[in-house]
Order: sequence, then structure tokens, then C-alpha cells
Amino acid sequence: MTLNRRHILAASLTLGAMNLFPGLSWAQARKLVFATFTGSWEEAHREVIVPHFRKANGNADIVLDPMLSVDMIAKVAAAKNSPPIDVMLMDPGPRLTLIDQGLTAPFPTDASKNYRDLLPVAQLPEGPGIFFQAVGITYNPEKVKTPPTSWDDLWKPEYKGRVGITNMNSTLGTAFMVELAKIRGGGEDNIDPAFAALKELQPNLGAVAPNPGALATLFQQGQIDISPGNFNAIQILRARGVPVEFAKPKTGTIAFLTTAHIAKNTPNAPLAAALIESAMAPEVQTKLMQAPFFVIPTNGKVKMEGDIAKMIAKDQEDLKASFVFHDWSIINKNRAAWIERFNKEIKV
Amino acid sequence: MVASTADTVASAHAPPKPHAGLEWTLALPLTAFFAVFFVTPLLLLVVVSLFADSEMTRFGLDQYAKFFGDAFNWKVLGSTLFLGVKVTALTLLFGYPLAWLYTRSGPRMQSALILVVILPLLTSVVVRTFAWVVILGRDGIVNNLLLTLGLAETPLRLLYTENGLVAALVQVQMPLMVLPLITTLTRLDPNLLDASSALGAGPWRTFFKVTLPLSLPGIVAGCLLTYAASVTAFITQSLVGGGQLLFMPQYIYQQTITLHNWPFAAAISMVFMVSVLGVVMLLNLLGRASKGYIHA
Repeated sequence: MTLNRRHILAASLTLGAMNLFPGLSWAQARKLVFATFTGSWEEAHREVIVPHFRKANGNADIVLDPMLSVDMIAKVAAAKNSPPIDVMLMDPGPRLTLIDQGLTAPFPTDASKNYRDLLPVAQLPEGPGIFFQAVGITYNPEKVKTPPTSWDDLWKPEYKGRVGITNMNSTLGTAFMVELAKIRGGGEDNIDPAFAALKELQPNLGAVAPNPGALATLFQQGQIDISPGNFNAIQILRARGVPVEFAKPKTGTIAFLTTAHIAKNTPNAPLAAALIESAMAPEVQTKLMQAPFFVIPTNGKVKMEGDIAKMIAKDQEDLKASFVFHDWSIINKNRAAWIERFNKEIKV
Repeated sequence: MVASTADTVASAHAPPKPHAGLEWTLALPLTAFFAVFFVTPLLLLVVVSLFADSEMTRFGLDQYAKFFGDAFNWKVLGSTLFLGVKVTALTLLFGYPLAWLYTRSGPRMQSALILVVILPLLTSVVVRTFAWVVILGRDGIVNNLLLTLGLAETPLRLLYTENGLVAALVQVQMPLMVLPLITTLTRLDPNLLDASSALGAGPWRTFFKVTLPLSLPGIVAGCLLTYAASVTAFITQSLVGGGQLLFMPQYIYQQTITLHNWPFAAAISMVFMVSVLGVVMLLNLLGRASKGYIHA
């Protein structure tokens, strides 16, 4: 074969393409892609789950790709046959969407060492629960002198213009509205009391944040002093010295389970399962529970300690007693209508 | 304006053309890129918007009917388009004097000014926007100043209000207005201004009769860029506008990502795109009219 300009051009183009799209040459051997959550979640998973997983799996290559559950679904739905993600984390609402759309492969529970140690509520074969998120009342202890004890405290006249909420796009915002409906005589299938209560809350509302992350930073700006808040969202702020604390409402902490799922049609199914196995391991969950991560464990073998024991639950029994779970299968059915109503009715 | 610059450059440097008529092939790679990564997705968007139900099983114009059948949607569209008008008008009001100052300054001052104008472009829009969250907050710079000066008794609500959003957008989009204005104003022949005053016109009359009309192409280009950028500024709109001011970009995000209602999201995207295109075309017509005015 004589080498001419065209051959060289073709060869270099091929090399370039293989460089740009490594999938062309090694379709089966791509890195395991773990879509985690943004912010402190990514940090926690990178520092605790990833090293454990790599040690147990011969230093397998893994990349973390942080985003929201809903974004993971959008990405996997757009490429059903070759998903760009192998392992996904789901809040309870998106979880049902993911399962309904057939985008997840079941977790191999029989082969799992840690699955049977999970609390019963976390033993979900479509994808086990690897941690809990807790929503209670977050407040600035320098401005709010008596720690709040009930959701009703948000309506106190002294907090005029100082209460923050998020809109219903987030799990946090939706869960808060459902809880509000419940304590005012409604529930997942009757949201009216929540909207009525929110109308009464309007003089107190200082901000409707676009997402939970923005809501947490409003404490830092002094824009708000009290709000429904995610236990983990305020930990970064606390670590940075922002005065913000978490209080358990007497009606219970709103809890949602975060589940880990294997993407259907992933080329990395065994490694994906291995990563979830690591995420369920008691030693991993114990480490995640400690400072600075404060991730609430789902493995029954983990002994509650430190701030989690003090602020969330002192043991698994206490956890069962104080956690309030909502029925997201009903919520999902109504959510579009609720969001539309929120768009139209809530003006600060 | 872009076209006229190209013409000038072409006529000034045009060497004899050896392969006359083949220059267009140079544009092929970019055209192919646009066809694959812009036109195709856009066509897909059109197709998705034509599904009648959110499960995408049958075709129909239901999504468009749903959009136009609800006054609330009209309000969201209207407030988004009007937000762009407010931001563009204010950007022009503040940007024009700045651009004019630039043309009147010495070289050293010009470098300083151009740095000030371009500097914001070198920082991420998220960072610029977050600075505004700090400025407008209850404990922010503006409120602290007002309280210290005794101009307000309690902190004002500035963050998550439309006025706060307009202020932030004006600053964030300012370079898009000022740069085209500077380009036009520096090309303005100073002899014309001298001639105007020699013929007895005062400074204001000279401005309104000579400077302003001649800078119209720059104004139109600046307005076009600012308008299109501010109505679609998803990040600034959500971070400074908050969770209850609903504009089209968030509306589309909400329907796509939170509710997985892709057909409706696609339909409102189409409506939004056509509306913004309408405004842009209006501005373009104005630009063309102004060109006729200059050459006449």
C-alpha cells in the first residue's frame, strides 16, 4: 500500500474520532458513571463510598456526575438503549417515574450481603434505599430565641417577613405542602388545606426560593430566619459558621428515602450493583453518618451517634417513631395540578 | 451592522479572486455543524410539541390549545416579553452615555473603560448573579446603606422582586449593549458634529439630529442582543427572581424536568421562540429602516 495524503488524512481522522469518542473502540469497558446529588452529597460519596467500592472491586474506574434526580431521568430517558449513567439516586417522587418508565433494572437482592440488614422500609428490590433525608424546621438561633417545636410556629406574627419556603418544583417544597395539608386535616389526596394555610402565611413569607439550595443560602444573606429545611442542606452552612439549626417538629420529621438504581441496559451492571452494595455497607454508612457528612443511615446495624443521634433519632426504633413518610404514588398523580395551582396562586 | 462591516473589510482588502464563486464552501463545516446540532433538535422540538398527550401516543394541536386557552399562560408570556423591554430600555439608557464617554476619552481612559465593560464577561454569569443576591438581600449592601442613612426604617424587600431582577439583568447584560454602541460611535465621523455646530446647532440638537440617528445601527444591534439574552436568562431569572416570579424559561424547565410533560414544554418553547423572533424581527426592520436613513 502506498501512503498518500488521503490515507494519512483518513488515519488521523480515525484516531481523532477514537480520541473524541472512546466508546467507539471500547464499548464495554467505559468507566462506571455514578450520578450522585450535588454539593455536600457529592463530597460525601466521593470520600466514603468511592474508596470502599474501588478497594472491593480491584480499583475499578468510576466517575461521579452530580445532578438532580429529575435530570438523571431526563438523561436516561433520552438514551434508553445506551444510558450515559450506570447508577442513579432517586428521591421518592422521581423514583416512581423512573420505575413507571421502565428505566431501571432490578437490584440483585439474593446475591447481596448487606440488603437484608437494611431497615424494612429501605428494602426495595427495584433499588434499595441507601440513606434517608429529613425535613424539619431550620432556623437562625441568633434571631429565633426559642427553638421552634411545631410547624405552626411559622405562622407566629413575630416572624413577619422572615419565613422562607421553596416552590413545589422540589421534593422539599412538595413534601412541606403535603405535611401542611396533613396537619390541617387534608393529605396526599386533599391539598386544599395546605393552600389555605399558605395564604395565611403570606404576611410572614420573606422569600419563595427557586430550589432548596437557594433556600439554605438565604439564611446566610439574612433574608430569612426560619423555614422548612433539609437536615443535610444546612450542614454545609453550619460547618462554615453560619448560625442555622435544625428542629424536629412535634408532629414528626418529614422523611424521604433516597434509593440507588441500576440503569436499564447499562454495560456495567455488575459494577453498578457492586457500587450500591458498597453504599449499603454498615462501615460505609457509619462513616457517612459522622461529621462532616451527617448522612442518615438505612442499615439497621449502624449505631446512631453524634449529631444524628441528638437531632434526628437516637436509634432505629426512635427513627421509626419520629419519621413521617408520605405516599408519593398519590402525590405524583396530583403534582402537575398542584404546581400549576402554586404558579397561579402564590404571589409574595 | 455586521454585514456593513464585512462589506467595508471586503472592499478594502479585496485581492483579485482566483476561485471566484467557491468561497461559500468555506462555510460548509459550520453549516453542517448547525444542521446536525441545531436544526435537527429544533425539528425534533416541533415534532414533540405536536403530540396531543403527555405520554406522546397521538398527534394533535392540543398543547397549543392548552397554552392559548389559559389566561395565566398569556400572562407569563407577556411578563417575560415585557421584562425584556424594561431591561433593554434601561441598558440602553445607562449604556449609551458610557459608550459615548468612551469615544470622547483619551487612549488610556479608553483601555480602562473597555476593561470595565468587558470584565463582567470574563466572570461566569452565576458568579455575577450571586453577587446580586448578596447586594439585594435583607442584610445586603443596599439595605444596609438605606438603614444607615435613615432613608428606610425597616429593610426593604429587594431580592426575589421584579425590580431587583431588572437591576441585576441590566448589569449582567450591559456589555452586550455597550460593545456594539462603542463600535458604531467610534466609526462616526467627528467632522459631521463640527459641521452641525458650525451650522448653528446646539449640542442637544446635534445629538438628536446627527449622533443619535447615525448610531441607530449600533442601538438596534445592542437592543437585539440584550433583549434576546435577558428574556432567556434562566440563571439570573431564577436566582434573583426567586421561586414565585414565573417567566417562560423557568416555565419550560418546570414542565420538562419536574413534570416530564415534554409535549407541553415543547409547545411553550415554540410559542416563546416565535414570540422572541417576532420582537427580534421588529428590531431588525427598524435597523434596516435606519440604514436607509443613513445612506439617504
